[in-house]
Amino acid sequence: MPAMRVALYPSAALVALAPAGALAVDYLSAEQAQKLMFPQADAFELRDLPLDTALSQQLAAAGVKPAAPRLQVRLARQGGALLGFVVVDEVIGKFERITYALGVEADGRVRQVEVLSYRESHGHEIRLPAWRKQFVGKTAASPLQVGEDIANISGATLSCTHVTEGVRRNLLWLDALRRSGRLS
Amino acid sequence: MKQIFQRRAGALAANALSLTLALAAAPTLAQQASPQATSQVATQAELARKLEQLAAELADVKAQLAQLQARQPATAVSQGGWSGSAAGGAGAGAATAVAASVPAAAPAPEGPATVLTGYGEINYNRPTKSGDKTQLDLRRFVLGLQHRINERTKIVGELEVEHAVTSASDPGEVALEQAYVEHQLTPMLAARGGLFLMPVGLLNETHEPTAYYGVERNFVETAIIPTTWREAGAQVIANFDNGLTLQGGISTSFDLTKWDATSGEGAESPLGSIHQEAAKAKARSLAWFGAANWRGVPGLLVGGSLFSGNATHGQAGFAGARVTLADVHARWTPGRWDLSALYARGSISNTDRLNLALIGNPTLIPKSFGGWYVQGAYKLWQQGDYVLSPFARLERFNTARAFANLGQGLTPDAARTEQVATVGANFWITPSVVLKADYQRFHVNTQANRVNLGLGWSF
Repeated sequence: MPAMRVALYPSAALVALAPAGALAVDYLSAEQAQKLMFPQADAFELRDLPLDTALSQQLAAAGVKPAAPRLQVRLARQGGALLGFVVVDEVIGKFERITYALGVEADGRVRQVEVLSYRESHGHEIRLPAWRKQFVGKTAASPLQVGEDIANISGATLSCTHVTEGVRRNLLWLDALRRSGRLS
Repeated sequence: MKQIFQRRAGALAANALSLTLALAAAPTLAQQASPQATSQVATQAELARKLEQLAAELADVKAQLAQLQARQPATAVSQGGWSGSAAGGAGAGAATAVAASVPAAAPAPEGPATVLTGYGEINYNRPTKSGDKTQLDLRRFVLGLQHRINERTKIVGELEVEHAVTSASDPGEVALEQAYVEHQLTPMLAARGGLFLMPVGLLNETHEPTAYYGVERNFVETAIIPTTWREAGAQVIANFDNGLTLQGGISTSFDLTKWDATSGEGAESPLGSIHQEAAKAKARSLAWFGAANWRGVPGLLVGGSLFSGNATHGQAGFAGARVTLADVHARWTPGRWDLSALYARGSISNTDRLNLALIGNPTLIPKSFGGWYVQGAYKLWQQGDYVLSPFARLERFNTARAFANLGQGLTPDAARTEQVATVGANFWITPSVVLKADYQRFHVNTQANRVNLGLGWSF
């Protein structure tokens, strides 16, 4: 009987493995991204922070709609001292999802944006350092809007807009958490 | 998503089958065991072990069933989110999370496999000097379907209805704008086969009404570049890390044998009147094409394209003739500005021999045609999703710059170069819905001066 069960299983095993074998779209894992953003960090603490009413209202006031009821923040530390934060997030480009990581300094300024995976036929250029570099130094007070302080990529307007919106959302969220002392 | 779901159901069925077989086998095992009294105790122990195993398997199946049921709402969510931007990553995430214990916030490895898209536009044109020609037209309604077979392969299709109603007595047209398969060969390189939009100009591949200024598409990219221009063939697309995208391939070509010298269609858009659009396309001669676009600096796009193909396909009575079309274009979007410029030029070889058979007709085949435009738009006002962008465009184009020499008195005069100035505004009520208004002033055909209003959407 066990033999038969094994014989019946390969198709299911293949299904489970198929997505992991994907090529072409995954550029970085979350772990690689956090290490890339904070190479000097010796520890990353994963903190799962639920949204509460006060926070929700604060974000709504800034025109931000949380995409989930919680935010997972990776706190980068070196010898216990806080270096900054990393948030991994997903937005829809035009048809497909874009996974990106936002790295933020301990004082709330954007340190780096990395694209972890991208699947659209057009707009791969959002991966280019020149486009991502536009976010460096932005704060929760920055407009963070395509056509204002972030330049568009012709032919990839939706990807640019949605990643920019995602960065703004997470930056404001992080900022609110940081100010409330929940990220120390 | 649906596929995964079906396969998971298959895996569950396999489990159930193995369990059924096990149950069926149990009495047999018991019968075999009964005559051998000496090993009865051992057999009972074995049976007990097998029963435990079966119980464990049953529990396993129950757990899988529970997981499956838990996933059903997730399936509904992502299918409900077919409109692309509404699709939630969390719902999609459940599809491939192997164990229920995977945290919800983990990046989902797979999104909805099938995405329904669409765009449409309704235009109102009122010529200022001949109001009787005022027209309102549901210019196009397009449904797109993109299905991802796996992480590296997808099918893209776009079905278009033009002018609302298609019948023997109506002006409408139903057409497939795109129908191709794309396969990602490496992270940098993809191959595309089927009916695809040609990588030409600024508009052809991105032609949704929400993506361009003005009610009507610009003249250069309709009269010279026959947007929406598609051919059937194969192409490779290479995306380089420096922002350069190269596209190249072979495709079907135009069909000069269907040039209608009696109508004015060829004078309106020489290539638009002889495109084949994969409708039983003559394909003895294939064309080649290439395009380079560079987006290495944020906000800047500089590119060009070249197409060349024989267009008489060895048909009896037609001399060989080659259609060549080239364009260079640039778009720069610094801050609130959106500036673009394009130059396109086309030529057809051997038109003297082709035109000999058409002498006496009003529209002969031009030797060359071309045009350019410059356009500037400025985002004047924004509040939430509302965006107001006035724009101005100046274009000059000529669909018959020159004709091949047919001899004194027979060679048609080159057409006069038309110049059109357009001023107006786009008002987006969301990034997916745009209201447009503009005024167009023609330099040569002043009777065509008109006011346009439009409503467009894209999702």
